[in-house]
Amino acid sequence: MPGYYDISDILMEDEAVSVVFHVGANGVGLLDPGTETNSVEKGAKIDLPFWLAHELCRRRAVSITIPSCFGQKMKKDVQADAACVDLGTRYPYFYEFGCKLFPLVGDKSIGPFLRHTFANRYKEMLSKSHTASLNAIPKFVLRLSKEEYQLFEAARSSMVEFKKWRVRDLGLMKTTIVGHKRKTDLH
Amino acid sequence: MYARRAAQLLQELSSCEEGQLPPYNGDKFDQVIRECEEHSRQFQSLIRDKDIETKNEDHYGSFIHHLSIIRNKRCLMAYMYKRAEVIQSYRWNVGRVLPREIQDKLNFSEQEYFKDYCGVIDSYMKDLDLDLTVDMVPPKDPYIRVRVLSEIGEVSLGDHAVSLTKDSFHFLRRTDAEPFISQGLMEEFVE
Repeated sequence: MPGYYDISDILMEDEAVSVVFHVGANGVGLLDPGTETNSVEKGAKIDLPFWLAHELCRRRAVSITIPSCFGQKMKKDVQADAACVDLGTRYPYFYEFGCKLFPLVGDKSIGPFLRHTFANRYKEMLSKSHTASLNAIPKFVLRLSKEEYQLFEAARSSMVEFKKWRVRDLGLMKTTIVGHKRKTDLH
Repeated sequence: MYARRAAQLLQELSSCEEGQLPPYNGDKFDQVIRECEEHSRQFQSLIRDKDIETKNEDHYGSFIHHLSIIRNKRCLMAYMYKRAEVIQSYRWNVGRVLPREIQDKLNFSEQEYFKDYCGVIDSYMKDLDLDLTVDMVPPKDPYIRVRVLSEIGEVSLGDHAVSLTKDSFHFLRRTDAEPFISQGLMEEFVE
């Protein structure tokens, strides 16, 4: 579980969700740009950051509507081709956000949807991470969400370490006899 | 309002590379603190003379202000904590003296923190009679060939003095050479 000081968890909770207020709230007019008085009316539909929506939902002051990243259009995109969906720019915290949202919203299909998306993207990511070189950033990396990017980096760095290990210097004495050198293509 | 500035502070911090710090953004930090004071004022005005138990509009409004303050606090704490972690790592990776560019990025209390942290590490190492900051990677060889990059002058290492002039080569013990290498004054000479 992410800790109190975990920066990516804090930034993830800043994602906006659309909520419907069940109660009115005074003195918080800044939340609703359309209001004239300094308060939010019951039944108003507002975009709140997730940390606020989460707490208010727990106390049943609002109800959260499912954001577009888990909606029908997204499901269709994933069905078509999961690996091409651009999570990096649109929803970098896709998986974590889904996991936190899931208990608050009544939709039971989010969990299996997350797993299905991840499984389909994983295969492509695995093969790309093992063949990618250290300096070039393949375009496909920009499409990964934050967690996928961490996995990608872990795989890439372990591949680099493996290659270094294969050519490591064993500290053997260099002889002057030049034998038949076997060319190993490692770059 | 509502912790957006605090999130921007953290964005700035997380967009830096691992182990690097952006300059201390004192202005934004103070703005976030002023926001908290504003939330607190609003909270006080909503709570005044009201019965805490009744869940009316004022109650929810004050609750939102309370949550905003908690959120701002969490963001600011995480900002300080992450910077403190990086400052600690500077002692191990860079050494006792920080180069000018790094010092300019820290504010006054962070520089004090660095000095105190160095003091704690030094007193611990004195008790152990062991320098923990050398050999972070286990070395293969106790001796190392080095080439001096900038003029250092006469240095006494162990029982003899070595004159470290620019572009001279020496064969030193690894523990003696490491502090100079981490400051960038020497480099390892690899055949």
